[in-house]
Amino acid sequence: MANILLDNLVKTFGKQTAVKNLCLDIKDGEFVAVLGPSGCGKTTTMNMISGLLQPDSGKIYFDGKEMNNVPVGKRGVGFVFQNYAIFTYMTAFENIAFGLKIKKLSEGDINKRINEVAALLQLEKALHMKASRLSINDMQKVALARSMVTEPKIFLLDEPLSNLDATLRNVMRAELKNIQKELRQTAIYVTHDQIEAMSLADRIAVMNFAVLQQFDTPLKVYNRPKNLFVAGFIGSPTINLLDAVYDSGDFILADFQNKKQVVSEKNRARIHDLLKQEKVVLGVRPEHLKLSDSVEGNGNELTARVVSIEPLGSKTVVYLKSDSDTGNVIKAIMGSDYRPKVDQVKTLNFREKDLYLFDKISTELVFRF
Amino acid sequence: MKSNMIKKILKYVLIIFVAALFFFPIYWMATMAFKPFPEWTAAGEKLYWFPEQPTLDNFREIFVRRTDFKTDISSTATGPIINSLIISSLGTLMAMVLGIMAGYGISRYKAGGQLPFFLLQLRMFPPAAVLIPVMIMWAFLRMVDTWYGLAIIYGVVTLPFSTWLMKTFFDDIPSELDEAAIVDGCSSFGAFLKVVLPLTKGGIASTALFVFILNWSDFLIAFILTDRKWGTIPVYINKLQSATVGQLYGPKAALGLLAAIPPIVFGIMIQKYLVRGLTFGAIKK
Repeated sequence: MANILLDNLVKTFGKQTAVKNLCLDIKDGEFVAVLGPSGCGKTTTMNMISGLLQPDSGKIYFDGKEMNNVPVGKRGVGFVFQNYAIFTYMTAFENIAFGLKIKKLSEGDINKRINEVAALLQLEKALHMKASRLSINDMQKVALARSMVTEPKIFLLDEPLSNLDATLRNVMRAELKNIQKELRQTAIYVTHDQIEAMSLADRIAVMNFAVLQQFDTPLKVYNRPKNLFVAGFIGSPTINLLDAVYDSGDFILADFQNKKQVVSEKNRARIHDLLKQEKVVLGVRPEHLKLSDSVEGNGNELTARVVSIEPLGSKTVVYLKSDSDTGNVIKAIMGSDYRPKVDQVKTLNFREKDLYLFDKISTELVFRF
Repeated sequence: MKSNMIKKILKYVLIIFVAALFFFPIYWMATMAFKPFPEWTAAGEKLYWFPEQPTLDNFREIFVRRTDFKTDISSTATGPIINSLIISSLGTLMAMVLGIMAGYGISRYKAGGQLPFFLLQLRMFPPAAVLIPVMIMWAFLRMVDTWYGLAIIYGVVTLPFSTWLMKTFFDDIPSELDEAAIVDGCSSFGAFLKVVLPLTKGGIASTALFVFILNWSDFLIAFILTDRKWGTIPVYINKLQSATVGQLYGPKAALGLLAAIPPIVFGIMIQKYLVRGLTFGAIKK
């Protein structure tokens, strides 16, 4: 167990910056997910923590001790690779024993430790099979076991579930969570799958274009995304973003024939103080958007045409488009029986408190209603 | 139905034709090795497709020197065979040891930038263009007609092949495997030795066979850089001619037949490694 401090890490490959001024403070025993699209610098970050890559500048500390010049094998990290990196010509047992043999443990100790790990991961039956003949699920477990068995202080997992099929992924996700709880090791988990990150992590570090966007608990990342990228990356289907212009307290929605989104009295003053310029983006999550048929009221209701529906069993995702050409597709999550006809016009309803207000130019979250 | 049949027949005719084309020289050499003088000599009026009176005379001629043909050969073929075995093996060993390490360095650490391509370009020179300078250097170093002199030049000449081939084999092995070993506490060299090398057995075996055949069949370099003492099989075969009969095709064929054995044995020995793919990749595809 150890806490990890990344202080201003920079890594470039030629002209390309892979990681830019990354600072992270990870607590002892914490499970941190590093989330972001491909090429955002997640794996580079992992490789620097493990020591496989040297940062161009910046420092890495484990428990307050600088690690920059400590060789990989001496850092006490376990690494599970995305493609498992199983040594195929060995048996599962030999794979797991590999690190222990290098550390020159006695045969008795090796057997004891492997049996413990195998029991934890339910891998006993596969232990003496040739690694090349293991099922993908068992291979994944062997990869996990191989790094667990050396009892690393820090556990690095690089998209370990991405090769499994959906059902297995759910099973392994639950298992991983249990294992991590049991061992209470500091773990860093790289993924591009927000569901994995949300469900497993104590805190999520969202990265994009080599830059850390936000480092917060899953709920904070969801409810108070720092900027448009985080808002758009977390949540499925993605958040609805509506271009708007701030006009003396209210918002004019360009995609909806310049209809007005009226803001309640208590928020007006605060928004007025916080906004630096008038071009903004209003965000509303699909689950907070309700559709209705009734077209009534003050004429300021937002309406949109149904484009397609996605019945998912427990819910139905409805895709709509406003009548203007510029508008994005709008997503709404409705009940499982909801079946509107394509081309039907629906009214969009949402509560003010479910809105997110972003500055369009800086992309930062300005106000959460 | 009918056109299918015709296609099939055509296919087999073609296969047999191509196979015959490739096997005929081997067949001719193998049969000629057992033909008596009148049957293999060019002076005969008849063409013998098969030895009518099979004999071991040709083998006797190269191993127990007789005086039937007036030649200026002063030794039997035993010496050249041993020379060839020693020199080709040493040259192969040198090319493989250096090539494996260079290939790994180029594949993993991108060492040398354009070096791999540059190495391959070296092979585009006609050997004759560089051989004279090499001979002068070798003479200066007193390495002409020595086993090590020839072994070193063989190692050097085949090094681009072994480096290039091994690089492609190492490229196929995901670098995560080395990294996994390094994270577990291996040194870089330890990871290479314990994890990567066992996975490239097949590549090493086939590259070694390829390099060995190149060395084994070389004539030009051996012809220029050896004299009486360390001549190899191809050089000796070339010497098998007489003032009276000209080329001694029978004995040449006999020695050629023997010379074909080591690569074949080597090939059979490593056959199971030549099946590539089985040892490769536990990795998601």
